[in-house]
Amino acid sequence: MLRAQQWSLIAALLVAPPDRDMLDLLSSLTGDDTALGQAYRILAETAGSADVDDIAREYFELFVGVGRGELLPYASFYLTGFLNERPLADLRRDLAMMGVERAAGRFEPEDHIASIAEVMAGLAAGNFDASVLGCGAAGEAGFFARHLEPWAAQFFDDLAVAPSARFYRSVAEVGRIFTDIEIRAFALEAKAHRTSGPSAQRL
Amino acid sequence: MPRDVVRVAVLGVSHPPANKWAKRMVRPAALMADVPNLEVGALMAEQGDVRTYYMGDHAVVLHSGETAHYIDNLRAAKPSLWVSCDNGEVRLVTADPYEGEAMASDPERLVEALAMPHAVATKINAFIETHHVYEEFHKRKRVPATSPHDPRAPRVLSDNEKWVQTRGKAGLPPKGVS
Repeated sequence: MLRAQQWSLIAALLVAPPDRDMLDLLSSLTGDDTALGQAYRILAETAGSADVDDIAREYFELFVGVGRGELLPYASFYLTGFLNERPLADLRRDLAMMGVERAAGRFEPEDHIASIAEVMAGLAAGNFDASVLGCGAAGEAGFFARHLEPWAAQFFDDLAVAPSARFYRSVAEVGRIFTDIEIRAFALEAKAHRTSGPSAQRL
Repeated sequence: MPRDVVRVAVLGVSHPPANKWAKRMVRPAALMADVPNLEVGALMAEQGDVRTYYMGDHAVVLHSGETAHYIDNLRAAKPSLWVSCDNGEVRLVTADPYEGEAMASDPERLVEALAMPHAVATKINAFIETHHVYEEFHKRKRVPATSPHDPRAPRVLSDNEKWVQTRGKAGLPPKGVS
């Protein structure tokens, strides 16, 4: 459930600039001494001192822009160099198999980082079921490995060094550390799975 | 775009029908650079059953954008003008071989490639020399992502690549206003 909340938080911060209420909530976050905890503490401090209009302006410069924003947070762009390419088609096929579809009135392509993060939140909370996906992509780990793992870390790195990023630099820090934890956790899970199954007995 | 118009006279030849079901029809057979003082459809010559008619004069319009095609035409073994007829009337005479061959793909039309009169060839040559612009053929290929000519957009847009307003409210006057 905690994982679901973290994915939801990342999705909410990247889909639109946060409003005053959300910033107040963010500034009340506390963290322990782990890397993720420290990242959350920095995020809380930044959110406490930030101005809503400044963040909205920053969001515009980063993700909207004139012509284009500083970043293009789409899986297709990161994986192929162009928008709306095959990674988007693959994601759409997988989402269709899972029975997940874009809400009415949303016009961002599904391979936006925020929508994939939202799907991850749904998977972690058990609202969505990825076991129908075949070809080695079944389950939450498979979905993550196919659609987020190849590029999410790179995206958060880029967000951290984007020239206009101030508040979003702390978001990038949280996203980067959380993605790393997820990658390692899924790898551990896969290893445990490999060494515990009936085929492992024969080794 | 610069254009030039050359007028040519079209002569049609009608052979006797090969069988009793076919009808006589006039096919364009020759071109003349000088336009004779004749009415359209006038009988010009009769040799046995073969009759030569005058099919009228028609404009050959030369466009500056198609000079490359005219060069191809003049370099061919037999420089030609393509005459296209509908219902026995001349509709189009063109010096562009690709346009002419495109017309010939319509089975309803009668299209003949006729030898270009020398005077017309001279005029087309002069037109080419005035208006031809040489363009090097550039074969586009995929470039690897590591190439400096990589067409992909940058992952992170730097500040100096952004669009910045310099005119209007930002200081400089709008374009076209000094």
